Amino acid sequence: MKFALKILKDFPAYLWSGWGAVASILLFIAFWDAGNQVYGDLVLPSPLETFKTLSVMLSDESVITEIKTTLYRASIGFGLSLVLGTSLGLLAGFFATASMMSRPIVTILVGMPPIAWIVLAMIWFGMGDETVIFTVIVASFPIVFVGALQGTRTLDGELKEMAKSFKFPWHMKFFDVYFPHIFSYVFPAWVSGLGMAWKIVIMAELLATSNGIGASLAVARSQLDTPTALAIVVIMIGSLMFIEYIILEPIKREVELWRD
Amino acid sequence: MSQEQEKLHATSHYLYYPDEKDIPPYLAYGFRPIFLLLAPYMIISMTLWGALWSGVIYIPFIGNILTWHIYEMLFGILTAGTLAFLSTGLPELFPGMVPFVGKRLKYIMILWLAGRLSFWMIDVTGIYLAAFLNLSMLGWIIWFAKDAVLDKLQRHASIGYTLVAIFAIEVWFFASELGFAKSSSLDILKVAAGAIVVLVLLAMRRVNMEAVNELMEDKGIDDTFISRPPKTNLAIFAISLFTIVEFLYPNNSALGWLGLATGAAILAITADYKLKDEFILNQPFVIYLALIYLMLSVGYALMGWDILNVNINGINHFRHFITSGGIGLAYLVVMIIIGWIHTGRHLTSNIYTHLMIGLIVAATFLRGLIPFFPEYTSEFYAYSAVLFVIPFVLYMKVFFGFLMAPRADGIKG
Repeated sequence: MKFALKILKDFPAYLWSGWGAVASILLFIAFWDAGNQVYGDLVLPSPLETFKTLSVMLSDESVITEIKTTLYRASIGFGLSLVLGTSLGLLAGFFATASMMSRPIVTILVGMPPIAWIVLAMIWFGMGDETVIFTVIVASFPIVFVGALQGTRTLDGELKEMAKSFKFPWHMKFFDVYFPHIFSYVFPAWVSGLGMAWKIVIMAELLATSNGIGASLAVARSQLDTPTALAIVVIMIGSLMFIEYIILEPIKREVELWRD
Repeated sequence: MSQEQEKLHATSHYLYYPDEKDIPPYLAYGFRPIFLLLAPYMIISMTLWGALWSGVIYIPFIGNILTWHIYEMLFGILTAGTLAFLSTGLPELFPGMVPFVGKRLKYIMILWLAGRLSFWMIDVTGIYLAAFLNLSMLGWIIWFAKDAVLDKLQRHASIGYTLVAIFAIEVWFFASELGFAKSSSLDILKVAAGAIVVLVLLAMRRVNMEAVNELMEDKGIDDTFISRPPKTNLAIFAISLFTIVEFLYPNNSALGWLGLATGAAILAITADYKLKDEFILNQPFVIYLALIYLMLSVGYALMGWDILNVNINGINHFRHFITSGGIGLAYLVVMIIIGWIHTGRHLTSNIYTHLMIGLIVAATFLRGLIPFFPEYTSEFYAYSAVLFVIPFVLYMKVFFGFLMAPRADGIKG
């Protein structure tokens, strides 16, 4: 509770510190606008036109439905990898043998290109939700798993010893000694896992489904509708940035505060 | 304790103070004669401009009143402000440098006054004389500040380089007016405004560090304020880009985004006021200083928005948030801070300082928001000019006594 209050208290200052980031994004948009002037509207629509298309799209009921579909797939997929990855990773971290054994498997999972997973999933599950969700899981699970594994592997032995010799009660041992350390590894892994999930869900939808934002992107491509395509990209990036920088980053900062 | 602490502030120059005899208090340090002249000059010149714009008097200014009005508000005031800042700041920043006082200071002030006179009489005395006097003034300031540029550690060199750039822009302006350069002199003045904003940011970074930390020490606030260079540098980069693009491609839509980016980059600097442990945003001087950035930021953002929005056409009105608002406030805040600290006093805020700052802000809003109230255009022009002048009257009332008397703590300077 105290933790949540502290995050809320620091939030306005955190938000205000984002002006530099806003400035660099706007500089990037200016660069994009210059690109539009060089290459023309068909290749690269102007930012202003894209944002206008975006606002028209967001007031369209059917587009909202597509976004909801994608959100559903991404959250199921990411939710499952979060639960599975964290619990298995933590568990594997406690046993040297398990972590030794899981390493190469994780390497295989990470090394396999997501596009190959999509092809396999399409053969296994057909065109639909399952294919997308499966691809999301295989892509983000290893990231979360490795983060959790590192968290438990790197626990400081001396700290454990100290907790033991002071005869800490179990809840203190967990919340004050293990948890801050583990969480500071697991949480950033969640953040990058989420980023991965959000990218993969669009790609999988584009190739394997007929609805969702990814499918809309495919339609925009086939109709050479660049403003819509770019507007969809803006939705994706915008939502990811919102989740990552407005929701997760303030938590991450508080979590990692003890390190200094 | 308080006596001793008082002596600690702004006294690095003390050991190297020249032993010229009979220096009157008003020539005892660089800022003194400048502020004694600048405040009345602001009042007189604003009154003259008001009379000129409303048709009470007529000065042709070589047939281009607007251009020369902008020239004077940018360069005429700049030389005074910069000289005050450098002649007061450099001996503190570079211990061992001999303060610039007494007779030599008097001659430089005469040069500045001659520059002003040559400006107002330009229809009689000609552009060449105005160019010669004003360029020698700025040139002399650069020569005076050469130690900052040649400093091995290059701690404050950026200010020197910016001044050299501003000097080049002023030469360019006169060349254009005399027919030696093709660019429109009005466009060159926009470039000058951009360069001056860069100079203001560089100077304000130093002023902030000195003033805010001193303020906290005075009030017993146990924290350190650090103005981080990367943030200022990002803002300077954005301003430079905006200025160059505006000169080459005015009204280009990319410039609109650059304006918004510049506004955000300047606002980012204010995040420095959030300290690690203590809350200082309730300190009046911190608010004064933050308002400078806020005004500059609003100006650039509104200009950017104007370019992107076809229904609004007021970019030169919005520019006043940068010039009257940001640059004007920067001069006034520096005049107030130096007026307290370098006359051997504590940094104090009172109803007068609040009024001075508040009136400049109000004048800027009246001037800058004219495009939204076209039916009140002439009223807004008049009121904003009046509101802009009052702070300098108040300045004379509060500070002229200090400027004419020796330092309160008995130290030379």
